[in-house]
Amino acid sequence: MTAQPRILVIDDEAQILRALRTILSAKKFQVELASRGEEGLALAAANPPDLVILDLGLPDMDGVEVCAQLREWTQVPIIVLSVRESERDKVAALDKGADDYLTKPFGIEELLARIRVALRHSAQAMGSPRTVVVAGPIQVDLAGHTVQRAGGDVKLTATEFKLLAYLAANSNRVLTHQAILSHVWDAGDADHVEYLRVYIAQLRKKLEANPEEPQYLLTEPGIGYRFITDD
Amino acid sequence: MAMRTPKVELRDLAGTLKHYLLALVILAIWTGLLWFFRNVLSTQVVALLYLLAVILSATLWGLGSGILSSLAAFLTFNYLFIPPYHTFAVQLPEDLLALCVFLIVAVVISQLLGMARAGVQAATAREREATQLYELSIALSGLQEIPAIARTLGEQICETFCADGVEVVLSPLGVSAPYRCSLPENTKLPAADPDGSFPMTTARGTQGKVNLWRSASPLSAQEQRMLRTFTSQGALAVEHSLLAEASNRTKVLEESDRLKTSLLSSVSHELRTPLATIKAAVSSLRTDEGDLDEASQAELLAQIEEESDHLNLLVGNLLNSTRIELGALNPQRKWNSLAEIVSAVLKRMRQVTANHIIQVDIPSDLPLLPVDYYQIEQVFTNLISNSVKYAPVGTQIQIDARAGVIEGAVLVRVSNQGPSVPEADLGRIFDKFYRITSADQVAGTGLGLSICKGIIEAHGGKIWASNAPGWFLFNFSLPLTLDPAPQKPTGNGVDLVPTNLQRNGEDPVPINPKRNGEDPVPINPKRNGVEGAAPQHPEESKTT
Repeated sequence: MTAQPRILVIDDEAQILRALRTILSAKKFQVELASRGEEGLALAAANPPDLVILDLGLPDMDGVEVCAQLREWTQVPIIVLSVRESERDKVAALDKGADDYLTKPFGIEELLARIRVALRHSAQAMGSPRTVVVAGPIQVDLAGHTVQRAGGDVKLTATEFKLLAYLAANSNRVLTHQAILSHVWDAGDADHVEYLRVYIAQLRKKLEANPEEPQYLLTEPGIGYRFITDD
Repeated sequence: MAMRTPKVELRDLAGTLKHYLLALVILAIWTGLLWFFRNVLSTQVVALLYLLAVILSATLWGLGSGILSSLAAFLTFNYLFIPPYHTFAVQLPEDLLALCVFLIVAVVISQLLGMARAGVQAATAREREATQLYELSIALSGLQEIPAIARTLGEQICETFCADGVEVVLSPLGVSAPYRCSLPENTKLPAADPDGSFPMTTARGTQGKVNLWRSASPLSAQEQRMLRTFTSQGALAVEHSLLAEASNRTKVLEESDRLKTSLLSSVSHELRTPLATIKAAVSSLRTDEGDLDEASQAELLAQIEEESDHLNLLVGNLLNSTRIELGALNPQRKWNSLAEIVSAVLKRMRQVTANHIIQVDIPSDLPLLPVDYYQIEQVFTNLISNSVKYAPVGTQIQIDARAGVIEGAVLVRVSNQGPSVPEADLGRIFDKFYRITSADQVAGTGLGLSICKGIIEAHGGKIWASNAPGWFLFNFSLPLTLDPAPQKPTGNGVDLVPTNLQRNGEDPVPINPKRNGEDPVPINPKRNGVEGAAPQHPEESKTT
């Protein structure tokens, strides 16, 4: 990664572009702007960025399509922006390879947090993956297949561990229901969101201080789950 | 129809012949009687008595029979009673005079009586026709739907004309598929061509046709005329219903136009308020020359953020309102946890609810519900924001949910300690733009509760408000299963709640029978008042 990560913002709304350029530049990112899908794709190809922020509502082409075309040749992290009411597009973009999403209007600290997670994740993907994930009192040893909470061992069933391990390996990133189901169960179970809910509820009971108000295993309503770590 | 005319004439002829024959028979019997008493009757009296027979025939069988009877009487009178007997010759000139006068009187009486009879018959027929038409128009009046019109018209025709079968085919102008209705019900129409086919025409065009089968006797000219009147009545009814429909549509459009106008004025006012705050805060921050301390700056910034969230909520409500109006709400129903939704809403509304004590009582074993996450989130947001708006600062707002109170559904309640609402207004507060208080006292678009209603009904549930001593409650039900088909937003939801529960003013559903003391809203005793005004959710650990 260069000292100053380059971020490509593709959004048709001039006000958003202006605000993001100001804010991201102030945070020491290099910013490139595109207001159309084609333009964004061309810019990305000419000068591959470290991260792409992509609005799903573009005038010339479907944001999901932009996402798919980028994924044909690059693993650059993509954060999609969308309005609250179009969660279906959001899920489609995530399933097409986007790394994360933000709902407009969003707070800038949220955006910065997402950017940091995405950049770190892509850096990790190039290096050796972590084997121990720590979230507060929870410690997941991916290689040793053990989970500890506040120093004590937590007994998990095989499926529970597989689910937690998948979430932990992708900590701080949103994982869609479909992605989790097809990874932990198999592709045939991709529609059975209720299984997932049951297992998440069990994991929360075993790991969270207050399963009703989870701090680590968070629900992304209508989309999936996110495992939050401290770092 | 032209082929049938000879037949009809033939039938009429047969009837006439029968009448003539009857007239002659009566005259014969009468003559026999007179012949029997000829010795005691004078010629003049016989003539008068013959007139009686003529009157009888003319009265019973009309003009023709009367004339025939007159002629026959003239001949038999001459033949039998006027000397020389048994000849048609007349001896005395005065007898000839009497005979002539008799003939003239008989014919004139026949004519008068026959005309009177025809007049009475015509009047009766007209009256019957008028009655039948009156009955038809009564039956057709007020019918708005094409199928009902077709049915009624078919029934009336079937009854009035004693038909074997009637088929009404309605293909009104501007309606693509013709509507067919055949009578009597559950009987197949005869395979043969109909015995009569009548178009339904008005000045604006043909609206359909009526086919009629009757094997007993062909339709008379009068019946055909009558049928035409019937069909044109039917056509008028169809036209009327189309016009009424068009006028209804216009009314709906006007109403929606009126709503949009009041929406626009309400919304522009409502949007300006947060914008004004944002503008004021930002401009004071920009022009700050060091007079603002850090705390004031932070306060202004917090205000900007809050008002932005408020704007976002308003826009979401507007969008949903439009969707409800278009019937395009289409909830994406998936299995969601109510506790999760409520906790997410409260987290987002922390600032708004800071001045109230929020208590949540949702059992951990409450089943997952098939609901659209965002829409139910919006329902809670609107109900809580309404509660915060009306309930005095420092009072409690309780949110609870129970399965098993209503069959097949979960009952959810959002209760506040705000003022009660008059019984008469309880149902209306879910109407668009409806306010108990005048608009300038409390801010808002007047859309929030109507959106809740739209969303809950689209989920197949029901929403209602109720008063309880010291409390005001919003209650809604959400089906436990996906099966109850989502209702149209404006239609009546599945009747999950007995109507008497909705209407009476008491606490509608004692959720927890053990705790039906003063506190109308049973809550978890452990939480009662312990945690105070502090929102009951730990800070979410921020992603860093």
